[in-house]
Order: sequence, then C-alpha cells, then structure tokens
Amino acid sequence: MSFDTRQIDDLVSLERGEVDRRIYTDPAIFELEMERIFARSWLFLCHESQIAEPGDFFQAVMGRDNVLVVRQKDGSIKAMLNTCAHRGNAVCRAEEGNAKSFLCTYHGWSYGIDGRLNGVPGHNTFYKGNLDKSRHGLAPVAQVANYRGFIFGTHDAAAPPLEEFLGATGRLGLDTIALRGDMEVVPGIQKFVIECNWKIAVDNLFDWYHPQITHASAFQPSVLPSTNRLENAPVEKIDLSGVNMQSGAGLDLPGNGIIGTKFDQVVVLGEYGHAIGGPTTSSTGYFEFDPSWRENPRTKTALGPVGCKVGGHPNIFPTTWATVTQPQISLRIPRDPTHTEIWWFTFVDRNMPREMRDFMVTMACRIFGPAGVLEQDDGENWAQATAQTRGIASRRIKHLLNMGIGRGKIIKEGGLARIESLTSEYGQLWTYYSWAQWMKGLSWEELKQATTPGDCI
Amino acid sequence: MSNHSQMISRDERIAAMLLHYEVERFYYDEAALLDAHRYDEWLALFTDDAHYFMPIRRTRTQREMDKEFTKPGEMAFFNDDKILLAGRVAKLKTGRSWAEDPPSRTRHLITNVRIVKDDGRTLEVESNFHVYRTRLNSEETSWIGLRRDLLRRTDGSFQIADRKIYLEQTVLLSRNLSNFF
Ligand code: FES
Ligand SMILES: [Fe+2]
Repeated sequence: MSFDTRQIDDLVSLERGEVDRRIYTDPAIFELEMERIFARSWLFLCHESQIAEPGDFFQAVMGRDNVLVVRQKDGSIKAMLNTCAHRGNAVCRAEEGNAKSFLCTYHGWSYGIDGRLNGVPGHNTFYKGNLDKSRHGLAPVAQVANYRGFIFGTHDAAAPPLEEFLGATGRLGLDTIALRGDMEVVPGIQKFVIECNWKIAVDNLFDWYHPQITHASAFQPSVLPSTNRLENAPVEKIDLSGVNMQSGAGLDLPGNGIIGTKFDQVVVLGEYGHAIGGPTTSSTGYFEFDPSWRENPRTKTALGPVGCKVGGHPNIFPTTWATVTQPQISLRIPRDPTHTEIWWFTFVDRNMPREMRDFMVTMACRIFGPAGVLEQDDGENWAQATAQTRGIASRRIKHLLNMGIGRGKIIKEGGLARIESLTSEYGQLWTYYSWAQWMKGLSWEELKQATTPGDCI
Repeated sequence: MSNHSQMISRDERIAAMLLHYEVERFYYDEAALLDAHRYDEWLALFTDDAHYFMPIRRTRTQREMDKEFTKPGEMAFFNDDKILLAGRVAKLKTGRSWAEDPPSRTRHLITNVRIVKDDGRTLEVESNFHVYRTRLNSEETSWIGLRRDLLRRTDGSFQIADRKIYLEQTVLLSRNLSNFF
C-alpha cells in the first residue's frame, strides 16, 4: 500500500489541529516512516564522551539498522552498519565496549575498527585470492557528523550538512546541554520498551498540559524536591470545575509551579520539524537543578536574547529529546507500530564538584527512566492511547491538538520562530504537520520550504 | 566441603539452620507485605541509612564482564536512600499514582537464599527472586534476578541496610518499574 500526497495531507490538519488515528497503528504507515523519515533524517547516535578511546564503540539504532559508532586510532569517529558483507550476520553483539577488531562469528570474516575487511578465512585456499577485500568492508553510514560532541548520522548521502539540518532551533536545543560545561555522558544508558507508537511518545515531550494530572502523585511534597523555582510566586490554580475522580470526588492537585495561569510558555518552531516547547525561563513552571550556566556570558552570546528565554523541551526531529530540569537526552526508537524503545543518556559537567555530580545522577534515576517517579506514570497512558486506536470505531475519532489553535501568532526574531502563550499544543501540532511533509517524500529543498513556519497556527 | 561440615559440631550446624530459617522467614514476611501493598510496613524493614540500588546491565563480551553492571555513582534504574524510598511510598498512597491504580497484581517468589557472610552484627545474604506482575487484562511481566542484601541484626529480627538488585535483563522489557524488589 502506498500513499499519495493528498492522502497524507488528510492525515494531519494544521488548520483544525487534528490527527488521523491510523498513523499510530497502520503497518503500511510505519513502513513508509522507516523509508521516508528514518532512512533520510539525521539521527542522534551517541555522545563523543561515550567512546573516548580508540576502539571504543557504542551500538546505535537508525531506523531498523543497527549501527556501530567507533572511535578511530586518529581520534575521528566512524559509524558503520553492523552487518557482515558476506551473509549479513551482526559482526558485534555487545551493546558497547572496546574492540581491536570485529570478528563475524559465522564464517570468520574479520574487520578492522575502521570497517575495513582485513581477513577472510580461506582467502587463498577457497577463494583462490579472487575476492576483492577492499570492496567488502562494513558499509559506512552515508554521513556522520559531530555537533558540539553529539554524534549524528544519516543514511542519505544527499542530506544537507548536520548544522544546516539542525537549523537555529535544533542547535539551540543541543546547546542547552552543551553550554552547561565540559559535558560527558554518565556510564549506563537506561533502555526500556513501551507498547506505544513512537509519535505518541514524541508528542508528549512538548506536553505541559499533562504533568499536573499524569504526574500529580510525583509532585506531592516529599516525593520530589520542590519543582517550583519561584517558591513565593503567586500560583493561581487552573479551573478544575467538573473534573472528578472515578469515586466522584473532585480532583485535588498539589499546588505547584507546574499548574496555573502564570505558566508562560514559549514554543519555538523550526524547519524540518524541530521544535521546543515549554515554560519561559521567567515562568512559574520553569525549573532546573543547576541553572548557573544561564548566567554565563558565553551562554548569553550563544543563545541570544530569544534563546535565553526558552526553558522548555527541545526535540530534534524525529526522535531526540533534550531535557531541561537536568541535561539528559531521551531517544524514542520505533521498533514496530506499537513498540517504542526509550533510551536515556544522562550528562554531567566533567568539572562539577563530586557532590553535585552525585546529586544529578541520583535525580536522573529518580525522575525519569522506568522507575522515575514521573516517567513510571507515562507509559500506561501512551500504551492505552495507542491501543485504543486499533478499534475501527475508535479510530474514526481524531486525535486533538487544537489547544490555542488560530491564536498562535508566530514571531520571527533572532533567527527563531516562536509563539508565546499559556499552555498550548503548538509544539505537538508542528511535529505532526512536519511529519506529514516528511511522509510525502519531498526533495530536501521542498521539505525545508514546506516546514518553514508561516505567520500563525 | 564435606570435610568441613564434618568438622563443625552438630550444635553449630543447628545454629546455622536456625539462622537460615530466620532469614528466610524475614524474606517471606517482606514479600507478603509487598504483595499485599503494605508499603509503610515494608519501608520500616529498611535502616535509616539504607541504600537501594538496581544497576543497569549491558550486553558485553566475556572479556568485559567486569563492566557488565553499572556501579554506584553511575546511572541505575533505582538509586535510592531511605528518604527517596519513603517518597515512593508516599507517592503510592496519594490516590493519584495512576500506574498503580488499578493496582498491579504482584507475587514475589524468593528462593536460593544463601548467607554468604556473617560478622555477628551484619549478614550478607544473596537470594534469587521472581517478581511476577500482571496489569489490566493483558499485561504480564516477569522480573527474575539476584538480590544481594546487607541485613543488620536488630532485636529478634533484621533490617535491610543495603540492597543491590541484579536483573536478568539489559533492555528492560517492561514499560516501568512501579513496584519494589
Ligand atoms: S556471514 Fe559473516 S563471515 Fe559469513
Ligand atoms: Fe510525562
């Protein structure tokens, strides 16, 4: 089954803020995503600190391709497909480690850490020397690039350079981690599986409407340190009239900065579908454990006056989320239409005092990840939201992302396009709209055009 | 081994059996509290300075097995002190802890209990666990692994001063860890 452009346009309406539920379970749509998004887009592979020494490798995922990201003897980084040029076996079965060479355990073809085919058992005896080893190395990923320590790869040789792909919005997103110091990844990538469509996991990262409800129990005093940076700021609760629990009792929410009408938001919309959504740095909802980096003159110059105001969650389209509370990257890796793997990378500044580092690591384990007091309550919502789109009748109902629709005036300033408002769904809607443009299989030039923000959402 | 066991007296062997029995009973009672969702009583089984740690495990080659599990100070699934554990218990009691409402059905099976060290004050004990969970109508999770505990003797019983939980999974095959081990 293939989709023509008009059918794809029918799936997402930017005007109405509606999304067709078929995009969450339809296997044909998933296949097309693999081809038109994950085989083309730049994708985050790992951070350079994870592979510091020659031979250090980390196994990443690009679409359904398993990729070895390997530090070379000259300090450069290569990425190659983890599949033997002979008959396909994986040449490395560890998630990470250090290698002097990669031996395929099927028939013994042996590759250097640069991917070159060095040895073939029986090269003289059986092949009579007729196999050109130089033509059968591990296939390199079409392009690999490093932005401030973040290693990205794309399967598309024609993709624009990484910095151009990221654009001002994507770079700002990654800068919110990179500018905090001499950053390194703490050993241990949390990986777990949620039975949801990857887009539901992605759209949630912009969703500042859900924390007060989904995470009501986590915001209970004594569960987390206070997340209200402006302790004494007047927090006006949102209206909850008619909002009752199954027991009939009204829903009582802990008073906290996440809730309320002082929750000023800024949503940044970028080309190719990148976006940032969440509180401004002066909003009651903004919180960071260590915001000192924002006072740094280097930060102010690098981010510019608009960038400095952004305190929300960036997503590098399609699946790379950078967090704010403390620097982490969360990948949402599609496994099949209804299974998504979540990978958490946690960053600290190498020069941080030991105590602060330990605090950050403890908080990272405590907030996000499968046991995180926040994230443990997310998965079931996403799994059930995905599962309910399977029913023929349930599927006819649209997903709604229309909060604030028609009122989102796009301000273009300092190279960024932004919308200022209270809690909204602009970030999610922009992601879905851009997703639809990617799904049309446009040229890179056309895609950039189609995902350049207009005047209003 | 058999030489050794012949050398120690019958009384000593009986004392070892009794100790083993007490430790096992402690674990069975603990498991019963968890399966009955009696979290406050479960929390009281931990010392105030307790550390509760479930490392991340990684598929690595045999040569790098020393780096299979993350260590304290690195990332983990659980890295809690008693205050954090108490926070988790408080969360479960808010009535808005949605991942546990409707509550998960769990059964903690504790086996292969081995007292590996005893200095008179503290015991080092290993046990295997199978935590079986079902949620809603179709979700089923099995977590199997090893616990390595430091049990401090208190009058007549024990308190857990340190618990390390080693799961037999690298990529966690479940959507969350909203239960205790
Ligand atoms: S498949 Fe790798 S050597 Fe044959
Ligand atoms: Fe959430």
